[in-house]
Formats: sequence, C-alpha cells, structure tokens
Amino acid sequence: MKEKSNISQELLETIECYYNNSMDRDDRIIFEKKLQDSPEFKEQVEDIKTMLLGIETQALKEQLDDFHKEIPLEKNKIRFLQPLKIAVAAAIIIAFGCFWFFSGSSNQKLYAKYFTPDPGLPTTMSNSDDFEFYDAMVNYKHGDYDKAIQKWQVLYQKQATNDTINYFLGLAYMSHDKIEAAKPFLQKVTETKKPFPFLSEAYYYLGLAYLKEGQIELAKENLGLSNTEQSQKLLNELKN
Amino acid sequence: MGEINKSKHQSQLISAIKNNDSVVLKSLYTSNYNKIELLVLRNSGTKEDAKDIYQDAFIAVWNNIKNNTFIPVNERAVQGYLYTIAKNKWMDILKSSRFKKTQYGFSNPSLVDKSDYVEDVTDKNLENEKLVSTMEAFKILGQPCKELLTIFYFEKKSLRDIAIQLQIDEASARNKKYRCMEKLRNMVIAPK
Repeated sequence: MKEKSNISQELLETIECYYNNSMDRDDRIIFEKKLQDSPEFKEQVEDIKTMLLGIETQALKEQLDDFHKEIPLEKNKIRFLQPLKIAVAAAIIIAFGCFWFFSGSSNQKLYAKYFTPDPGLPTTMSNSDDFEFYDAMVNYKHGDYDKAIQKWQVLYQKQATNDTINYFLGLAYMSHDKIEAAKPFLQKVTETKKPFPFLSEAYYYLGLAYLKEGQIELAKENLGLSNTEQSQKLLNELKN
Repeated sequence: MGEINKSKHQSQLISAIKNNDSVVLKSLYTSNYNKIELLVLRNSGTKEDAKDIYQDAFIAVWNNIKNNTFIPVNERAVQGYLYTIAKNKWMDILKSSRFKKTQYGFSNPSLVDKSDYVEDVTDKNLENEKLVSTMEAFKILGQPCKELLTIFYFEKKSLRDIAIQLQIDEASARNKKYRCMEKLRNMVIAPK
C-alpha cells in the first residue's frame, strides 16, 4: 500500500460495492474496464479488497476464541488404563453416576416446574409487513411449534439480527424440547446491543436451557442476569 | 445441530456463511472440533495444537466458501472439507522437522505450497503479506474504530443500523467509518 490518503470516501464506497457484489451491471462493466486500463487503479482496488478481507478475517479469528469456550466437552478420550486403575475408576464412576443420576433428575424436575412457554405477542394482523411474523405467532400460540419454527426460520434468513425473531425462534425450539437448537438464538438475543423488552426473559429462558442440560454454573449466571421474579426464585432454589 | 437442519437449502447455508451469520458459524465451529482434537491428540499433538490447527482450517474453509473456491452441497460437505483441511495441516506440521514449537499460523511459509494433497485447496490469498499486516493492524486498532468496522464489514449491518446502535446519525457513521479505514490504512502503510 503506497501513498497515503489517495483513496477518497467515494472510491472506498465504490470498491465496497464491488467487493460485496452489490454493484449494478452497467457500473460493474465501467468499473471492470477501468480495472483493465489502469494498473494503478487496479492496485488501489486490490489494496482495499485485501484490507476488507483482513478486517473480516481478523474479526472472525477473534470470534472463534469465543466459540471455542462453548464446545461441548469431549466424551471419548483416549485412555490406556491398567486393571487396578479401571477398578478404581469404575467405583468412582458408579459413585458419581448415582450422584449425577439424582442431581440430574432434580434439574429436570426444576426445569419442568419453571418452564412455561412465553405466551407470545398479541396477533392483531394490522401491519401487512409483519404478516408472516404474526402468522407464525398464531401457530406458536396453538402449540404448533414445527410450523412456527419453519416460518420464523424463513424470516430469520432475511433478518438474522432481529431480536424478536431470534427470541421467539429460541422459545419455539425450547417449547418443542429442542434445547440445543434453542440456545444459540437466545444467546444472540442476550448479546444484543439494542434495547430489547424481553432481555430479562431471554436470560431466564437461556438459564433454564442450561439447567436442563445440567450446566448449573451457566444456568446460574444467566438467571442472575435476568430480573424477572421467576428467575430469582429459581436461583434461590438452585442455591439451596 | 437442529438449527442447520438438513432441509436448509444449499444457498441458504452458503449465504449464511458468506454473511458471517454467527449462529451458523458457531454451530459449525463447535460441532466439528472434537473430531479434530481427537486426531491431533492421537498424533502426538496437544489440545493447544488442535485448537490452532482447527482455527486455521476453519478460516481457510470460510475463505474458500467466500470466494467460491469451494461450493458445498450441504452442511455435511462443509464438515468433511473442514476435517480434510485440518488433517492436512496437521500432517504438514508433523512433517515439518518434527514440529518445533514455533508459530505455524497460516502466515508461516513452510505450510505454503505443499500441494501434494488432492483436497487441499491452498489458502493462498490468506498468506498474502498485506493481508497479514492488515490483520495485525486491525487487532490493535483502537476499540471504537474496531467496533464500528467490525459491525459494518463483518456483521454486515447497514449504516442505518450502525447509526442506531451507536446512537449517532447516519452521516456521521459514514464519515466515522471512512476515518477509521484511513486510520487502519495508515497503520498498515507505516506500522509503528
């Protein structure tokens, strides 16, 4: 990258369009012609493209470390054990197994006691833009979670950052007992930077999801971030 | 893996990856790691090695999907591809003079140009010097600029969304973005 500041805001934005494939056909033809004719222009464009890729790659790289913390623990580790060790291990496993069995079932009980699907939003059907959203809401309210998920997934493809869609997709999966699928959506809601009226509820349900999976610490953490009455009650039960 | 279910169309999967959809990327990332870890642990590596190699492979796969070098038919194809690339990368490290404990990110030239694998589409454009220096510069770029550029270029939100999120008007979001890019460019041109 050579001299400074020889890239104007307009040029940057044009290159962005080109990079994102959002340039219309005529502009693209002119742009590509210029690329062919001017090696200097070509170099500028390449530099900016490389920068854009660099930003994206580094941003992804940093996100991967966050993802890494959420990898489920490996079950099938390689071990080479001697018979005595196996016997000792077996005894320990049985002891802990009993513990897990009972504590596990109490988690399930607590989950069942506390989980009730969010009642959903009133479906007034006034605004035609939101028709698809509320159409799915009707299915959700009728307990037809498969249909609701299907429809909201379509909307999610278009508006992946819409907190309301993410929240209800998470809820629909949870009500359908698909905890694993529900978690990423609820997670996304809790990470939102915009004000969201159901934020506390999202933390509450995310906490419940972790509880169901036996991840008590994560359950407590999320419940702690929710200020609904239910989550405080559940948190107290978990502490006892 | 319920959220990327089989009925999801190929184009949806590809566009989700190209748009850096965090739900899809996270799910791909977390559900494929354990296989690689097992492979590396069984072949004289550590967990740390496994993580490094896996992240490099993941970025290579993402990049190849982005630039259409690799067009997966479904999620399973992505998984297989990811595994193959990670495996090849680990084999390379094993072969490279009994892998000295040096950094072997994709910037290491020893991993470049070993095209003796059928499946290994070399992640050439990830080894470009300018790219590496942009990444280095971006890593240490001041937080406000880093956040803004991440939201715009990585999360691919519109200027309008950014303006709302950062509580500024759209025109200043646009100017700020340009100034941040200039700042980053200057860091790349003349690193301190």
